[in-house]
Amino acid sequence: MTYSLLVRCPKSGRFGIAMASYSLAIGRLTDGIRANVGVSVSQGFPNPANNFLAMNLLAAGFTASHTLGDLLGNDPHNEWRQVVVVDRTGAVAVKDGAKLRPWSGHVTGESAVAAGDMLAGKDVLTAMLKAYAAKPEAVLEDRLLLALEAGRDAGGEKGKSGPLHERSAAVVVCANDDHTEWDLRVDQHDGAIAELRRVHNEYQPHAAYYIERAANPHKAVPAMEFADMLKKKSA
Amino acid sequence: MTYSIVARCPKTGRLGIGTTTFSIACGRRNESVRPTIGVSKSQAMYIRAHDPRALNLMQQGFLPQHVMDVQAANDADWAYRQTGMVDRGGNAVAHTGDKVGKYCGHKVGADYAAFGNGLAGPQVVEGIVAGFLAEPDAPFEYRLLMGVEGGHKAGGQATDGRYRPSRSAWLCVTNHLTFREIDLRVDLHADPVGELRRLLDDFLRYRAYYEKQRLDPASVAAEEDFVAAL
Repeated sequence: MTYSLLVRCPKSGRFGIAMASYSLAIGRLTDGIRANVGVSVSQGFPNPANNFLAMNLLAAGFTASHTLGDLLGNDPHNEWRQVVVVDRTGAVAVKDGAKLRPWSGHVTGESAVAAGDMLAGKDVLTAMLKAYAAKPEAVLEDRLLLALEAGRDAGGEKGKSGPLHERSAAVVVCANDDHTEWDLRVDQHDGAIAELRRVHNEYQPHAAYYIERAANPHKAVPAMEFADMLKKKSA
Repeated sequence: MTYSIVARCPKTGRLGIGTTTFSIACGRRNESVRPTIGVSKSQAMYIRAHDPRALNLMQQGFLPQHVMDVQAANDADWAYRQTGMVDRGGNAVAHTGDKVGKYCGHKVGADYAAFGNGLAGPQVVEGIVAGFLAEPDAPFEYRLLMGVEGGHKAGGQATDGRYRPSRSAWLCVTNHLTFREIDLRVDLHADPVGELRRLLDDFLRYRAYYEKQRLDPASVAAEEDFVAAL
């Protein structure tokens, strides 16, 4: 009961993952992302242990498809998982376990893959990829969030007795550092993607400030003053 | 302005962090926690490369005090940084630089380090410690949360005597496995500490269910049925 988009930006080599789910705190599963290595997730009936192993296999130089094979071979319950891997060349490998709840599947784009289970249909994933591809000049985190919004608007998740609203969402981007560059989450909210949009827009003007403050602490404006400046600017 | 507690559970050996701040999405600092290794949380005018480097060193087997010495030697602006660390041996250390925003300070004890800056006063650090120590038999995740709540109740953040509310909070606990056992975030909220408790209470009702999805998916109920039964 999750829909996700995993990408490698062909221009910058950055990796990204966007997830939305009826499950709580789905962002806790976004730890499978590492600069110059790849991005991977285990969803459906998730095995979060897959993500760490996937990063180690990709870091050792294995391809996405070899990594996927090893992950499946290591998991006795792999039929219940949807495992997605994107490697540093942008190659994509996905396994939709046979026991995933319908509709489940994936759609691949250029260095990108949308995957999910318990969806309204394939259109959800097609819409995500279309929204992601629509603004190639935009920054990756914006494109990922647009994709989540498009997936939601195309029907999102569906349970036994009708639509299920996503209760958690996350957008994470990794560039060249040992930490994620963009990493925002909503862990429990009735309109998780709309709430993520609110946080995203609020956070955006702070991103450069947080980096500058670290690099030049002697000249740093206090966080509170910076927030006040933003408020005045938008007023 | 931020206050945090990093700690090891003396009963289970689990590691964790509880933190809250004015900045948006403090939980994006996920590089500060490495399952099975330790926690290193830098704050104030932090550099994000610090925590991964600290954890790399801890992973080699260095003790937090040695790691802290290495960090200090490697940073021309160490006076602007505040950091707390704990390893799986329960070794805890903290540093508060001279140029960190007032009030700032830390307190280190067996298995924990409590530290903050831009605080209402020293009573906030004391409040964190008192909260963490208040119920030694409580589950570790609640002890961390009570630490944050203790700081909040003691006055939290302030500048020039004026109260400054937090906007985000984060609670993360790791066990012997390679992924985070609990990782809950409130990224932007008027009462992030209160919301974090609500989120933890609710998430713990799901914890066994999500564990079953991992370990025994064949016998797991549909999540919407599980939720309806709650």
